Amino acid sequence: GNASNRCVYEQPVSFSVSYSEIYLIKCSLFIIHVSVQVQQILRERFCERRLPDRLEGVEAQYKHLLELLRRTAIHGESNSVLIVGPRGAGKTTLLQCVLRDLQKEEKVQKNLLQVHLNGLLQTDDRIALKEITRQLHLENVVGDKVFGSFAENLAFLLEALKKGNRSSSCPVLFVLDEFDLFAHHKNQTLLYNLFDVSQSAQAPIAVVGVTCRLDVLELLEKRVKSRFSHRQIHLLSSLNFTQYLERVWTQLSLPDSFPDKKFAQEWNAGVKTLCEDKSVEEVLQRHFNSSKDFRSLHMLLMLCLSRVSVAKPTIKPADLLEASRMCFADTTANMLHGLSILELCLVIAMKHLNDVYEGEPFNLQMVHNEFKKFLHRKSNSMYNFEQPVVMKAFEHLQQLELIRPVDGSSAKVQREYQLMRLTLDHSQIMEALQKYPQCPTDIKQWAMSAFG
Amino acid sequence: MECVHIDFIVCFWSSRNEKENWKVHFYSFAISVEGLSKIIINTGQDIFIEGCDEDNPYVAKVTRLYGDENGQQMKAVVQWFIRVSELPVNKLKLLGREPHPQEIFYYECRNCDNEVNVESILRPVKHLDSNDPFPDSADKDTLYVKLSWDSKVFRVVNSTVVESPAEPAPASSPPSSTPRGPSRRVLPTPDHAIMHKASLGEVGCSSVGTPANVEAESLHSATKLSASKCLSAKRRNATARTPGVRKRLELSSECLHKDFKMQPLCRTREQQGYIYISNTKSSEVENEKSPMVTETPRSSKRKSAMLVSSRIKKQLNLLENHQDPNSSGEEEDEFVPSKNDLLSSSEEEGQDEDGPNIDDQVSAKKFRYVATGSRNSRSKQKSYSSARTQRRTPAKKISPGTPQTPRHATPSIPIRSLQTQQPANILEEARARLHVSSVPESLPCREQEFQDIYSFVESKIVDNTGGCMYISGVPGTGKTATVHEVIRCLQHAADMDEIPSFHFIEINGMKMTDPHQAYVQILQKLTGQKATPDHAAVLLEKRFSNLAPRKETIVLLVDELDLLWTRKQNVMYNLFEWPARRHARLVVLTIANTMDLPERIMINRVASRLGLTRMSFQPYSFKQLQEIIMSRLNKLKAFEEDALQLVSRKVAALSGDARRCLDICRRATEICEHSAADPSSTGLVGMSHVMEALNEMFSSAYITAIRCASTQEQLFLRAVITEFRRLGLEEATFQQVFVQHQALCRIEGLKPIGVSEGLAVCQRLGACRLLLLEPSHLGVLQRIRLNVSQDDIFYALKAD
Repeated sequence: GNASNRCVYEQPVSFSVSYSEIYLIKCSLFIIHVSVQVQQILRERFCERRLPDRLEGVEAQYKHLLELLRRTAIHGESNSVLIVGPRGAGKTTLLQCVLRDLQKEEKVQKNLLQVHLNGLLQTDDRIALKEITRQLHLENVVGDKVFGSFAENLAFLLEALKKGNRSSSCPVLFVLDEFDLFAHHKNQTLLYNLFDVSQSAQAPIAVVGVTCRLDVLELLEKRVKSRFSHRQIHLLSSLNFTQYLERVWTQLSLPDSFPDKKFAQEWNAGVKTLCEDKSVEEVLQRHFNSSKDFRSLHMLLMLCLSRVSVAKPTIKPADLLEASRMCFADTTANMLHGLSILELCLVIAMKHLNDVYEGEPFNLQMVHNEFKKFLHRKSNSMYNFEQPVVMKAFEHLQQLELIRPVDGSSAKVQREYQLMRLTLDHSQIMEALQKYPQCPTDIKQWAMSAFG
Repeated sequence: MECVHIDFIVCFWSSRNEKENWKVHFYSFAISVEGLSKIIINTGQDIFIEGCDEDNPYVAKVTRLYGDENGQQMKAVVQWFIRVSELPVNKLKLLGREPHPQEIFYYECRNCDNEVNVESILRPVKHLDSNDPFPDSADKDTLYVKLSWDSKVFRVVNSTVVESPAEPAPASSPPSSTPRGPSRRVLPTPDHAIMHKASLGEVGCSSVGTPANVEAESLHSATKLSASKCLSAKRRNATARTPGVRKRLELSSECLHKDFKMQPLCRTREQQGYIYISNTKSSEVENEKSPMVTETPRSSKRKSAMLVSSRIKKQLNLLENHQDPNSSGEEEDEFVPSKNDLLSSSEEEGQDEDGPNIDDQVSAKKFRYVATGSRNSRSKQKSYSSARTQRRTPAKKISPGTPQTPRHATPSIPIRSLQTQQPANILEEARARLHVSSVPESLPCREQEFQDIYSFVESKIVDNTGGCMYISGVPGTGKTATVHEVIRCLQHAADMDEIPSFHFIEINGMKMTDPHQAYVQILQKLTGQKATPDHAAVLLEKRFSNLAPRKETIVLLVDELDLLWTRKQNVMYNLFEWPARRHARLVVLTIANTMDLPERIMINRVASRLGLTRMSFQPYSFKQLQEIIMSRLNKLKAFEEDALQLVSRKVAALSGDARRCLDICRRATEICEHSAADPSSTGLVGMSHVMEALNEMFSSAYITAIRCASTQEQLFLRAVITEFRRLGLEEATFQQVFVQHQALCRIEGLKPIGVSEGLAVCQRLGACRLLLLEPSHLGVLQRIRLNVSQDDIFYALKAD
């Protein structure tokens, strides 16, 4: 195998084969090429690397935001707005689409400076100010001057904004992603100043906050709140299952511009039959019930797509079912499959303790006693373990965070008496036991019995 | 501490004032600091006076020295010079060039105290001729006078003004009698023209511009028949005079007229003698009148005075020589440049006086093609002086207008490439007017508050005292806007010379990173200096506590006062302490939201210093809000009457925040614009549009959010409520809720979900803040609370 492979790589043309073989190679090369293209197009879509050409279902919000930002760019009108919606609802996509379309307009193109901040990156005002200065290229103007302090930086930026006016300064768009995190900065200095500029005759700015918190206005301090224009754009999708199915179909189908028309037609037909499949519909319904956001849908479709190969150039219903199974897999329960028998026994003992004491915390000694009681009753398959061995198993469970020490218990207490809680639900334990490879029957019975 | 002896060397005269006691006037005195050599201060000498900045003491020239009859209070009346560093930063650009670090300006502002304690005098200093170019290597004790500064504009100083030592003063009343004019008027300064104008408050033109003077000059030119004089007189007549100035001059000419009766037209030299025993009034009149007198006697008077004084000085120096050769040497040097002029005869002096004009003519050709088109070129004296400067410094002459790169560049937002579009229709116009940022011509509904603040600040400025005022009110009630309006009006009044000029500084607690930055910002806005907070506090402390001369009243606006709270409250303490100092002349206006802030957060000593001058801005009533919108729209018909009333009533009921009101109106215009079928023919903004805007801004999104949630999320919310009911508590762990959720799933005929999925559902609800959650690492143990009322959830879910 190795030798012939090398041969193919080094002299792809020179070795002699029959015409039919050449045809086959050509075909397979072509199929490889096509499937790479399919992967590329769909992956870009699912990873949200490419903006959709047209937004669906949010036309009103799109228009509102576009008009608002256009007025800032063209009339120099200062504005502030919040885009609010649950995670994965398309807030950033909406904003990006608006910005993309704005940039296409000639009047706007060179008339809008953009500053993008993210509450997760700019964790305090000092960093945020530095970032604003950098993105506005103000540092170039200052030359070699290095900002000494936060205070200077703030005064500097405010001075710069104050010097501008509505008719002559270039409008600046401030995008604050994860807006709610900015509200936790000390005194909300940055927000106050941005909103204050937007409400006074200084350089025209537009402040666009993006957040998923519905109660974001309550986070603002009253002075900051008064300066905010109270415009909110809500992105709450009232999408039904039929639209959801359509979305799946459009997301999976290839565009008309795909080079190989014949393949595209076949692929699209395949997707159509897939969507009409009963089991597929069931799986998608379950996903739809769980969450309407497109990001989790894209995750599911991505798992399907990764099963597409040269040998199998379509998505089969089985792929979707498998992908769905992976999506819904219970991660903690999966971890139980890797435990030793002793550790599993300890978990079962904890479950019984939880039943008996109604969720009160327990310590190692109690668990060990419970375990010993079980061994005492029917110990045909198990050895009695030494205390240190049990302790070791117990610590391993703690490391896996299957048990967690009670908050109040101090470190001074001896380890065997430290109070713990089980972070597993009973259903998870039972499910794990079903799937545990070669689980002894008496342990299963013990787990299912009502009391120890 | 070192001991300072002050010996009075020569006592020349004493005077009796009608109001004052006997005063002893001195000509010269010596300060001897223990361990150091004696310093001799003469009248007419330039001195350093202790100021708030140790590196840059104040500069002044002694015009008079006196003490009261006990000889305990020793005072000096001085003519101030102002340093570059003392000038307001924003005024520096009026200079049009980079100031020389050793440059000083002849200070012509009226409202500064020109009386200092002699103890504050540090040492003598010298300054150089105004026409000299700045040398490259600057001696630290040599200062340069080129321009004068009257708190508004720079002007070229007549070189003789600065060079000539002042004549000893006729006895005069101390300068604290009235806030304006008189204190300076009694001060004999050599150049009466400038003096006179300063007292008249004339701005902008330094040419001798009084009609009387012009007459006098033409008279003089007639006698002298100097062609150049004629020319210059014509030119002066031609110089632009503002009507305001003329009016003032007419007013003042009355008093001048009176003087004529009392004084002979021509003065004799006997009057210039050093021993005066005359009452103040007549001497004051003399000074007032002097611009009326022909120029030759005036100049000769001054020159002869100089002559005598310099001789006396020389003698004094000779006396002191064996003790302090250095200082006397310096003093010798100081008089050298002017000596040639001084020793010439009076006719020659007259020629000298005319010299500039001849020079002017000669050099006119030369500087026709240099930039005399600057502001200065209007007046003869200015162009003369600037021409001379330019002639002597060719390097500067080449590029007088070249902007030098400032050391502290403040960058600005780039200029936009395309012009802003003007509003095209009524709605756009209305929107522009309703924007909070657009400054209205007047502030309706705050007349009473405006009046109160105005009279408070005005009285403090006029009385030269200080004070504090606390202004409270909920956000959006026009506190800051009203104060700014007051300041704008006061500034206007100061420009019209109805009140003394003042300096306005604004700081905002929200616009600084730390309460102690307040010191830094105040100092920076006051003097342009940069300092660390601690250092700035020390400097400000010094500035406000010293008998600091030549200060205008400072009006300090402290916005968002509550942010300046520190544990020790020292920032607040200082801000309220300074106005109470005797010489501070500081008016502090503070703004905060809560009415009882002084009682709530201030310790007693701070609250006590803040005083009881308080004002509270009530939230706007619906009528006021309506009036505000109407006044902003200014008869622009864009809204239906009812729509406006709805907005104002709604906002008045909620907060009374004018910003909110304007924002809603603005949004309503947008909705109106978009809802119209034909964008070109939009109607008025009606009730429906306003209602929609109100709903958008005030309705909570929780109910919509619940309706739009996925099936499992809705089920989870129901499970939470069921579990709360079961427990009778408003809190449950995820584990407990999850059991309920599983049960509900079975009831609804859905496949039960796994724990991981359940946790994901729970987290999504938590991210929207429909639920309040503990940190997610707790897994199934995290506790859950609702962030919406149970009724809201039922309402939202039932409507399906």
